[in-house]
Amino acid sequence: MRRDRKDMELALATPRLRPSPADETAPEPDPSDGELLARVAERDRAAFEVLYRRYVRSVFGLALRRLRDRSRAEDAVQDAFAAIWRSAGSYRPERGAAGAWLYAVARNAIVDRFRSAGGEAAGEMPELVSGEPGPAERAEAAYAAWRVHRALEELPPREREVVELAYWSGMSQSEIASYLGIPLGTVKTRTRSALGRLSDLLEGELR
Amino acid sequence: MSRSPDFDELVGPEVGGEARERLRRTHELLVAAGPPPELSPELAAGPTLAMTLGRRPGRARRRLYLLAAAAIAVAAVFLGGYVAGNRGGSGVAAVRTLELRGTAAAPGALASLRILPGSGGNWPMRLTVTGLPKLPRRAYYEVFLVRGGKEWAPCGTFLAPGGDRAVTVTLNAPYRLRPGDRWLVTRRGPGATAPGVPVLEPAA
Repeated sequence: MRRDRKDMELALATPRLRPSPADETAPEPDPSDGELLARVAERDRAAFEVLYRRYVRSVFGLALRRLRDRSRAEDAVQDAFAAIWRSAGSYRPERGAAGAWLYAVARNAIVDRFRSAGGEAAGEMPELVSGEPGPAERAEAAYAAWRVHRALEELPPREREVVELAYWSGMSQSEIASYLGIPLGTVKTRTRSALGRLSDLLEGELR
Repeated sequence: MSRSPDFDELVGPEVGGEARERLRRTHELLVAAGPPPELSPELAAGPTLAMTLGRRPGRARRRLYLLAAAAIAVAAVFLGGYVAGNRGGSGVAAVRTLELRGTAAAPGALASLRILPGSGGNWPMRLTVTGLPKLPRRAYYEVFLVRGGKEWAPCGTFLAPGGDRAVTVTLNAPYRLRPGDRWLVTRRGPGATAPGVPVLEPAA
């Protein structure tokens, strides 16, 4: 995680609803996404912040996939969460999972941002050529990535750490053990545990 | 670009059968999804006030303002330190968000002004505002760059829908910005030639 001094200054210069918690190891909040949405509908800002922290990576990832530009994707995240804030009252639990509703609201905000920026030229795949995924497959892949990134947020930090090192840092299990200063067996146990937990969280995707 | 990890190395031989296949499918989803994106410090810092400037129930309004005022006070401390630390530098940061709050002429108003990176001497700005009354025909709101305590240069005009409804407009400050520059919003009546009554001013 690399942050230069200027970035830090910019972050400090941006007013927030309340100071962000410095303690990353704070326990995960208990309420479900649906419960949080109900509270957001009542204009509960604390609930909104919890929901934001749960989904900001998923929303940002979705925006990056669509817009392919970090700056515009960040603007789209603003739009998406503003839309979630505005529309939370329209969520009906009996019609589906809160995660799917959040995905739909975020996707619509991102598509609006995409269209307002000139549509096709701004980042949409230009012409489909043989062998490339079609719109339906791309949409399915985007939703699967959304769910995977969301599920990662649910892992205990120690398990998430070994998953990220294994999958996206190119380290072997032995290298991870050495890097973290823990026994190889612990790395393997945590990795298996993380994959099992992710399997539970992603149940619908595994069928 | 990192390589995909070897599933058999990750899981080992201990898990077999259906459970192993289930883990393998999860592994494939992780590989296909790719890494979650690294958040910019701005996104990682949490939701912004501008996200929540939409329509809201009237009874929550007072509570919102108290919360917003607290957030503004905290931000002002940080912002003050930042500006002070950059005096003598080349100008304002590439992206900054400032909070404005209603004056006595519009006590229920709140706004967030985001200054975006520009080019060719332009500084695009996105203003999100709520709580400003709808004006009579031919009247409008005007944003001014304030320097040395005076309305130094105009940055654009807009209309407000009235009530709690938020409006977002894109403006521009085609000036060489300096640390210490501030903005305010005035209300200009039909046919008026002088800058109007300030309705939004910097929170700190």
